[in-house]
Amino acid sequence: MLSLAQLSPGHRARILKVPPGQKRLLALGLRPGAVVEILLQAPLGDPLEVRAGETYLLLRRAEAKDILVETLLSNEPHGMPPVQPTR
Amino acid sequence: MECPRCNPPDSVTLKTPSTHERWALVGGPNTGKSSLINALAGSQLSVGNWAGTTLERLSAQLDLEATRVELVDLPGTYSLLATSPEEALVVRELLQNPPDLVLNVLDAGNLERSLVLTLELMELGLPMALVVNLLDEAEAKGLRINLEALEEVLGLPVAGTVASRGQVAGVLPKAKEARIPSPKVRYPEALEEAIHRLGPWIPNRALALLALMGEEGLPLSREALQALKEERKHLENAGHDPYLLALEARYATAREIYRRVAHRVETKAPLTERLDRLVLHPLLGLPLFLLALFATFRFTFTLSTPWVNLIGKVQEVLAGWAVALPLPSLFRSFLAEGLVAGVGTVLAFAPLLFLLYLALAFLELSGFLARMAFVADRAMQWAGLPGKAFIPLVLGFGCNVPAVYATRTLTHPLDRLRTALAIPFMACGARLPVFTLFAFVFFPQQAPLVVLGLYLLGLLTGLFTALLLGKVLRAERGEGAMELPPYRFPPWRLLLRLAWARTQSFLQGAGGPILMAVLVVWALLHLPFLGGSPYAFLAKALTPLFHPLGLEDWRLVGALIPGFIAKEVVVGTLGVSFLGTEGLSPLGLVAGVRELLGALLSTLTGTFQSLGALFLPLNLDLAPEPTPLQAALKEAVSPSGALAYLVFVLLYTPCVATLAALRQVVGGKVALAAVVYQLSVAYGLAFLTSRLLP
Repeated sequence: MLSLAQLSPGHRARILKVPPGQKRLLALGLRPGAVVEILLQAPLGDPLEVRAGETYLLLRRAEAKDILVETLLSNEPHGMPPVQPTR
Repeated sequence: MECPRCNPPDSVTLKTPSTHERWALVGGPNTGKSSLINALAGSQLSVGNWAGTTLERLSAQLDLEATRVELVDLPGTYSLLATSPEEALVVRELLQNPPDLVLNVLDAGNLERSLVLTLELMELGLPMALVVNLLDEAEAKGLRINLEALEEVLGLPVAGTVASRGQVAGVLPKAKEARIPSPKVRYPEALEEAIHRLGPWIPNRALALLALMGEEGLPLSREALQALKEERKHLENAGHDPYLLALEARYATAREIYRRVAHRVETKAPLTERLDRLVLHPLLGLPLFLLALFATFRFTFTLSTPWVNLIGKVQEVLAGWAVALPLPSLFRSFLAEGLVAGVGTVLAFAPLLFLLYLALAFLELSGFLARMAFVADRAMQWAGLPGKAFIPLVLGFGCNVPAVYATRTLTHPLDRLRTALAIPFMACGARLPVFTLFAFVFFPQQAPLVVLGLYLLGLLTGLFTALLLGKVLRAERGEGAMELPPYRFPPWRLLLRLAWARTQSFLQGAGGPILMAVLVVWALLHLPFLGGSPYAFLAKALTPLFHPLGLEDWRLVGALIPGFIAKEVVVGTLGVSFLGTEGLSPLGLVAGVRELLGALLSTLTGTFQSLGALFLPLNLDLAPEPTPLQAALKEAVSPSGALAYLVFVLLYTPCVATLAALRQVVGGKVALAAVVYQLSVAYGLAFLTSRLLP
């Protein structure tokens, strides 16, 4: 298992575990099962810009360190399941 | 005069509404609630405080036939499980003071997450209608949303809007169809059983769920709390986290609904992502960010200067008229130097604040402020503050007053407190004249270095204050996680109204204390007392306190008293007390009017000129003070004493307006404690400074 802080921009991962009590992270969409993508890191290397679904987040490395993930290949399904057209 | 064209009969406002209703707008941050209110209610946006808190409350009145509706803009929230004071307020407001209608505002571009909150709100059992806003952004992402299908799935009326462009026609008809929703989420068996077992103590299902998920501060009886504790333990023993269970169930339902009502026509990298690659670029990011900060300053200070000057001119003319009145001299002085000067001091902040609020609102609503926080986050981590705190701190270099108010954009109360208490140490523009006067008299060779050093000392003292307070209050390290909203071009009408509503809120909240303080200083300077001026008496009484700093002249110490009102008067007071007074000259009515018209004209041309000057390089105007004062100062104090004086002026309470702002944001007691702290820090560091030079 990796921590989210170990990934670099361009990497995608599925969240396995968020430290208990982190309601804000959960509310922002960083919940177990969600697929996230690291988009950028700030000019000084910290914080990170992370995408979870349609939500873009600023996340400090110190916080990302405690979020456990498994990496995904770039062709695996994205955070949101494919959407069917409505009739 | 009866002219139906000029005064069209207004049937809506002429009729007195017979009933009052309160509608609460609830939705995630940046879903366009304020834009929606603004588009629905037009000009009547107002800013106030929530009772018992210092959080900002936006509301507007709307007359619908015989009903007067108050539209309340609740703070943006991701969930009813509060993670910040704003969110706690939403829960409290909905549970304890239920509105007549919940208008749930959803972000069409982020519908799945918006639906999670909708599902939660539906459990409250309040009449509800949905507004799917930002349809234009969803469309730009290639997302189509079937509003009829959403209406059918949820069983609630749904209006689609683009509030920023005023496309809100569907909202009021749909609001009339509002109904009490039936909850849609099916929770796992374990959770349902726990809710059922809690029934006798917590009959409200939504409340029971919130309590199980760990929300604190709910209105529950002791027995209910005991039963709750057992149920939570029971769930945890079975290996369940009630919070995660409920969250998962909601997300699953939201995803299911989303699949049925939305489909993607095409996929391309959103504009926001492409822009972020530029704005948050490893190399370009920092310069772009500094440029944006600089532009904010330039915009505010360049454009406000002509208007501040106009207020000064109006003040001068009014004072001239007051002096010409056939009244006793003490009364004329009260009118001219007390009342007019006092009201003028308050009003002189209005153009500055309005423009700064305008620039700030633009930065915030356009999504740029969040990016600035992203870039500055590293520096703030050192002081244990969130990245966002950088913005108010830097604004403090311009003027401490709006900077203190800008701390309201911070989520956590302790972050807000620590940043607000750090701001008064930022060297605002009004301190610069004192710095330059003394620096050029006593350190002509190193003057720019001395001034720069003072700015840095202020910044360091502020950051250190935040660090220290964090340790004392055992504040958690300011967390970084925050949403980066998409880039948007905010509607200018909303910007203007927000800026105006906030300026008004300042004038109402801080105006009184400032006026009061100016009048007290006037009284000190002018009322006859024990045969001499109470000002001189007080200054002389205080002077021994300043002997250890190398300050022995009472006139220097005296100037610090009105400096408490506003630092810009320190130099003026020194001039008056060292060189003698120059009285106000009376002014005729016609001459005054002529002066006012001339001033107005030059303000207007000045505004246009400064619009052009915005794009020219900055020229620091360090006008040398008249030599008689310089010579007098040189006699009065030693170089080490002068440096200590500068450090004291830098660090003690910046002005009564900042104090009034602090009182509004962090409360009166803390503001008072801050004054004591500032005076102690100023005294201590000034004392150390006085020992620096031989």
